Amino acid sequence: MDITVTLDFTGHLRPDSFRAFAAHRAARLSLDCTVLRQDRRQATFRLRGPEVLVDAFEMAMSLGPADCLVLAVRREPGDEGMER
Amino acid sequence: MTEISTLPPQWTPIALARDIAPGTAAGAVLDGAEIVVWRDTAGHVRAWEDRCPHRGMKLSFGFVRGDRIACLYHGWEYDGSATCRYIPAHPDLAVPATIRAGRHAVAEASGLVWVAPEGTAGLPPDMPGLTPLRSLFLDVPAAIAMARLAEGGLPGGGDASARHAGPFLRLAQGGLSVLVAHHAPGPGSCALHLLVEGDAAPAALVAATACFRDAVEGVEA
Repeated sequence: MDITVTLDFTGHLRPDSFRAFAAHRAARLSLDCTVLRQDRRQATFRLRGPEVLVDAFEMAMSLGPADCLVLAVRREPGDEGMER
Repeated sequence: MTEISTLPPQWTPIALARDIAPGTAAGAVLDGAEIVVWRDTAGHVRAWEDRCPHRGMKLSFGFVRGDRIACLYHGWEYDGSATCRYIPAHPDLAVPATIRAGRHAVAEASGLVWVAPEGTAGLPPDMPGLTPLRSLFLDVPAAIAMARLAEGGLPGGGDASARHAGPFLRLAQGGLSVLVAHHAPGPGSCALHLLVEGDAAPAALVAATACFRDAVEGVEA
């Protein structure tokens, strides 16, 4: 069953690196991925696809590329985005 | 003596075909790139990047089951197209076709398994009548090893000869002719793949092994 979630990652994020990593992982997992926010502290994505593959994306992004450090992950259902 | 066509430049021999038995997987290294070479139970050989797309485990540590190879780590199964078809932790998931291992072009010819970048045109030369002997791995740069072998040939006789023949070095002495193919796992190493030309009886194979061991020891000295 496909779901839609918003994933928000905070930490020390190199935007180009983190975004490229997300794009690669989303393509590998055949997920629809929209970047809602991206800066050096925060990256927010809207994901749509099978739940287990969204889970896999979240796991991969929580590890992130080698030059980024993810300190916290927030996950919300739906595609409204998150206010911080 | 069989003539050998010119080899399309991208094809490289990485193993004796005989050494990749049906239902098994083996690791190889070519210019620093790790490759899994595996053969399904029907006999089809594959060569892929030796890395599971899931967590990076070497697929050469995995298990061949029918026409699939399963990763040792979490059991993800890949079919002959390198596409993941089954994830044991999520048996009901329709695995997207985007989850796939990196493939190399692969061919079997002249008793060897050859690899090339995916999409490479042409095929390596297929010579009949070769008997696989063995692969040898040397801590000598490939260019040096092959040059020394070309200089020395097979030891022990005045009629020994060595000459290049397409991708092979042909070493001959008396009635014995050994073809040497090679690849470079890294800049300081060389893998030699030896085949005997003609109908080689077991005694001739033993003699060839003994001759070649001498030659190789000469290379390494």
